[in-house]
Amino acid sequence: MIKQHFEASAGYRKWTLGLLAVGGLILVLGFIFLGLSKDEHSQTRFWAVLLQNSTYFLLVVNASMFFICVTCLALGGWQMAFRRVPEAISTLVPVFSGIALVIFLYLIFGPNHHIYHWTDKGHIEHDSILKGKSGFLNPWFFLIWSIVAMGMWSWAGAKMRQLSSEADERPMENDEAKNFHRRNTVWAAIFTVAFGLTVGSTIPWFWLMSIDAHWYSTMYSWYTFASTFVSGMALIALFVVYLKNRDYLEWVNQEHLQDLGKFMFAFTIFWTYLWYSQFMLIWYANIPEETIYFKVRMHGPYRAIFFLNLILNFVLPFLLLMTRGSKRNYTVMTFLAILIVFGHWLDFYQMVMPGALGEHYSLGWFEFGILALYAGLIMHFVGKALAKKPLVSVNHPLLKESIIHHA
Amino acid sequence: MSVKKFVVGCFDDEKVLFPAVTKVRKAGYKLQDVYTPFPVHGLDKAMGLRDTSLHTAGFIFGLIGTTTAVTFMSWVFTKDWPVNIGGKPHFALPAWIPITFELTVLCAAVGMVLTFCYICQLAPFIKKHHFHPRATDDLFVMVIECTSKTNEHELKNFLDAAGAIESNIQVVEDGWWIGRYDRDQQLYKEPIVA
Amino acid sequence: MSLTKYESQLREPLVDGKKTYHDVTVDIVHTIEAKPTRLWYIGFYVAVALLLFGVFSVYMEVVYGIGQWNVNRTIGWGWDITNFVWWVGIGHAGTLISAILLLFRQGWRTGVNRAAEAMTIFAVMCAGQFPIFHMGRVWMAFFTMPYPNTRGPLWPNFNSPLMWDVFAISTYFTVSLLFWYSGLIPDLATVRDRAKTKLRKYLYGIAAFGWTGSTKHWQRHESLSLVLAGLSTPLVLSVHTIVSFDFATSVVPGWHTTIFPPYFVAGAIFSGFAMVQTLMLIMRKVMGLQDYITLGHIEAMNKVIVLTGSIVGCAYLTELFMAWYSMVPYEQAAFFKFRIAGPYGWSYWLMMTCNVISPQLFWFRKLRRNIAFTFIMSIVVNIGMWFERFVIIVTSLYRDYLPSSWSPYYRPTIWEVGFYLGTFGLFFTCFFLFAKYFPVIAIAEIKAVLKTSGESYKDEMAPLEVMSTEKFAHEMLHHDEHHREGDVHVVHHDKH
Repeated sequence: MIKQHFEASAGYRKWTLGLLAVGGLILVLGFIFLGLSKDEHSQTRFWAVLLQNSTYFLLVVNASMFFICVTCLALGGWQMAFRRVPEAISTLVPVFSGIALVIFLYLIFGPNHHIYHWTDKGHIEHDSILKGKSGFLNPWFFLIWSIVAMGMWSWAGAKMRQLSSEADERPMENDEAKNFHRRNTVWAAIFTVAFGLTVGSTIPWFWLMSIDAHWYSTMYSWYTFASTFVSGMALIALFVVYLKNRDYLEWVNQEHLQDLGKFMFAFTIFWTYLWYSQFMLIWYANIPEETIYFKVRMHGPYRAIFFLNLILNFVLPFLLLMTRGSKRNYTVMTFLAILIVFGHWLDFYQMVMPGALGEHYSLGWFEFGILALYAGLIMHFVGKALAKKPLVSVNHPLLKESIIHHA
Repeated sequence: MSVKKFVVGCFDDEKVLFPAVTKVRKAGYKLQDVYTPFPVHGLDKAMGLRDTSLHTAGFIFGLIGTTTAVTFMSWVFTKDWPVNIGGKPHFALPAWIPITFELTVLCAAVGMVLTFCYICQLAPFIKKHHFHPRATDDLFVMVIECTSKTNEHELKNFLDAAGAIESNIQVVEDGWWIGRYDRDQQLYKEPIVA
Repeated sequence: MSLTKYESQLREPLVDGKKTYHDVTVDIVHTIEAKPTRLWYIGFYVAVALLLFGVFSVYMEVVYGIGQWNVNRTIGWGWDITNFVWWVGIGHAGTLISAILLLFRQGWRTGVNRAAEAMTIFAVMCAGQFPIFHMGRVWMAFFTMPYPNTRGPLWPNFNSPLMWDVFAISTYFTVSLLFWYSGLIPDLATVRDRAKTKLRKYLYGIAAFGWTGSTKHWQRHESLSLVLAGLSTPLVLSVHTIVSFDFATSVVPGWHTTIFPPYFVAGAIFSGFAMVQTLMLIMRKVMGLQDYITLGHIEAMNKVIVLTGSIVGCAYLTELFMAWYSMVPYEQAAFFKFRIAGPYGWSYWLMMTCNVISPQLFWFRKLRRNIAFTFIMSIVVNIGMWFERFVIIVTSLYRDYLPSSWSPYYRPTIWEVGFYLGTFGLFFTCFFLFAKYFPVIAIAEIKAVLKTSGESYKDEMAPLEVMSTEKFAHEMLHHDEHHREGDVHVVHHDKH
C-alpha cells in the first residue's frame, strides 16, 4: 500500500530542531553583538543579512507556486505525481512574507539608512537624483506595494492549494474534470499575472535594486526572477528526492526526476543568459553611472564572490546536468540542488552587500547562521504542510498521465 | 554488398508487432530490421538495439567549435593584429561570447547531421532495397535474414502465426548502392515467393 | 514501453475524425500529387510579380546607390533595418515551435511545426537581404568573412555586434535548414514510395536520401532531432538577442537598455506566432487540413500570443519606467519627448495598441477559438511588431544631441517600399512552392501521436479514464516492466 501521508521521521525532526536552535541562537547573538552594536557597519551587517535571506527565500518559495501555475496553464501532466511538494513549499509564502515585512518596516522607517539610502530624508535634500526618484522610492509606496504583492501571492496561492484538495475527495466525471481544470486555470492565470506585475517588474526594484539607489538596469527584475526560479526548482527537487528516499511518492520515478533536472538545467542557462546580457551590455557601453555596479563587484573586494557566483550557478550545473544519466541520478541531483540553492543565495549576497556595506562586508558565523535558520524554517513548515494532506491528489484528472510519464 | 535471402512479415498494428518481435527473438531468428513509417516508441529496446551515441558526437563537434572560435579570435586580436577597439582590452572575452556560441552550435549541428547521414548511409542517389513500399505508409515490415540453417517456409508460417497480415520470401541485394528510384528496384530477378 | 495508449480526457484531440495511418498519408500527400488549384496559381503569380518588383527596386539601389532611399542623417537605419529585424523576428516561430515546444512536450506542435519551420527559413532568407543591400557596395559583402586577405591582413572586427549578426544569422539559417530537412527526409520517402510518375520518383528519390524507415535509423533520427532541438533552443534565443545587441551595446538613448535581449526574443516569438497563425489559417482552409490543424491548435497558438504580448508589454512599461527612474535627462527626453510624443508619436501608440492592448482580448476563450477574429488579430500583431522596430530605430535616431542634427520627417521612397514588398514576394513564392511540393504537415510525427491524440482513438481510453488510480498504476507499471527490458532471453535453436 502507498504511504499517502508524510510523517516526519526522528532524523528529520532532529535536523529541523537542530537547525532552528543553531539559527535562533545565532540570530539572538547577532542581535546582541551586531544589531545592538554601536558600530554602524555591524548594525548594517545584521540587517543586510536578514534582508538578503528574507527576500531570497521568500522569492524562492514563491517560485514553487509559480511553477504550479505555469504548468497548470500549459496543461502539463507530468508534475502531478509530486505536485503536493511544491504546494507544501508554497505554504511558506505568508510566513516568509511576515518575516520580510518586519525587516522592511525597520529598514524603511528605522534609523539605519545604510541599506536603503533613499530613506534618509536629510540626504535626499542634497541628492537631486534621489529626490527625483522619490515619487517611486518612498517608504509608503514601498510598504503598501510590498503588502499588496505578498497578499496577492498568498491569496491566489491559497486558492490554488484549496482547489487542489478537491481532487482528494472522489473521482471526477468528464464534465466535472473539465470544470475543475477551468477553475484551476483561472486562478493560475490570476497568480501568474500578479506574479508578472510584482516579481517580474516592481518588487525587485523596490527590495533589491534600490539598495544601489542611483543605479538602474531594466533587466534587473527578470534577472532576479531567473535566479529565484532556478533555486525554487532545485528546492522542489530536493524535497522530492528526500521523500522518494523515504519510500513516499510511489508514482514518482526517474522520469520525473529527469524532467526536474531539465528545468534546473534550462533555467541555469537562462539565468546565465540574463546575467551575461546585463553584464555585457553595461561593460560594452561603458557608461560610468552603470559600470559602477560591476566595478565594486568585479574589481573591488567582492571579486572572489563575483567569479564564484558564475562557477556555482553556471559552470558546475551546466556541465554536471548535461547528461541524461546525471539528471536521473538521485545523488547527483541532490548535490546539484543544494549547490544551486546555495549558489543563488550567494548571488543574492552579492546583490545586497556591496550597496549596503561596501568593503566592510564579512561572510562568517552570522551569515551562515541565518542561512541555517532559514533552512530550519523551511524544513519545519514544509514538513508540517506535507503531513497535513495526502501526498498525491489521487483523483486529479491529469494524475494518470504523470504515472505513465516518460521523460 | 551481397545477395541474401530474407523472410518478410508485415504487421499493421503495434500491439501485434511487439509480441511478434519478442517471439522472433526468443526463437533465435536473426532479426535484420523492422521498417516502420514512424518512430515506434520502445521498438528499439524491444529489438534489443543498443542506445545510439550520436549525441556524444554532437558534444565533441560542439567542443571543436568552441575551441576554434576562442583560439582564433584571441590569436587575431592579441597576436596577429591587435587593434584598440573602443578602449576595450585586446583579450575582450565578453565580446567574443556570441561568436563562440554560434560557432559551437554550428559545428555541433552540422557535424551531427553529417555523422547521422554517414552512419545511416543517407545521401542523394543512394539506393537500398525496399522490402515493402508501404513501409513508409502504414505497415510495420519485419525482415528476418535466413541463415544456412533457416527453413524459410517454416519461418514464414511462424510470422503468419504471430499475426503478420502479409509475408513473403525475398532474395535481394543487402546494403546500399548508387542508384535511381525511377528505375526498377529489383536488382535480381528471382521471383518473389508469395 | 507500454502498449496501452493513454492521455487525459482534458486534452483535445490533435487529429479530428476517424483516421488510420494510411488516411494520414493520403490526406497530407494528396496535395502534392494533385494539380494545383486556381487559387494556388493566382497566389503564386502575385507573389512572383511582387518578387520581380523587389528585384527591380534592389537593382535601382545597387546601380544608383543608397541615395535611392530616404535614409539620411541622422536616420541612417530606416525601413531596411526595420524590415530586417521584423523578418528575423518572424523567423523565430518555426524553431520555437519545433524546438522549445518539443522540449516542453507540447503535443500540438506536431500539426504546425513543418510549415512553421519552412516559414522560418523563408523569413530568414528575406531578413538577410536587408543588411546585405544596406552595405551599399554589395559586391564587397564577402569582406565580412574572416579569411586571410591582402588587406593587412585585416580581420573583421569580432567585437562588433554587426559582425555577431553575420555569424548569428548564417548559423541560424544553416541549423534551421538542417533541422527542417532532417525532419523532412522520412516524409519525402513516403511521397517517393507513392509516386506514380517517373520524374517524381526520380526527384523525390534523390530528395529522400534513400530513407527506408529502419528502426535503427529512426532511433538515431530521434536522437538527432532531440539534440538539434536542444541546440536550437538557445540558438533561437541568441539570434534575436544578438540583433538586440546591435542596438543595446550603443550609447544611444532608447537603445542602450539591458532588458533588450529577452524582450526582443519575446517580441520575436510573438510576431512569429502571429505570422504562423496567418499562414495556417489560410493553409488549412485552402488545402483542406482542418482535421490536422484544429481549433485546438489555433487556440494554443493564441495563448502563446497573449503570453508573449504581455511579456512585451511588461518590457515596454519597464523601459518607460526606467527612463524616468534613471533620472538621465537624455533617456527621459528620448522616451517622453521624442517617442510617445513628437512627430512620430502616432507610431508609438499604434505599436502599443497592436502589441499590448489588443492581444489582451485573447484572454477570452470564445475569441481565441474564433477563426475570423484570430486572422485579423494575427495581422494586427504583425503590423504592431513592424512598428515596434520602426519606433525603436527611427524615434531614437531622428533627434541627435544637437538640434542642428535633427532630421526632417522621414518617409520611404518607392524603392525602399519596393524592396520590402519584394521580400513578401520572395517569402510567398517560396511558401507556395513549399506547399505544393513538400508535405506541409509532418506525416510521421502525426502518425506517432495518432493513437494517443486522434479523436477516434480517444474512446478506447474511456475505460482507463474511469479506472481507479491505484488499479491504473498497478496495471500500467506492471505492464511496463514486462516490456521495458529489451534483453529477451534468446534460445539458440534455429529451426531446421
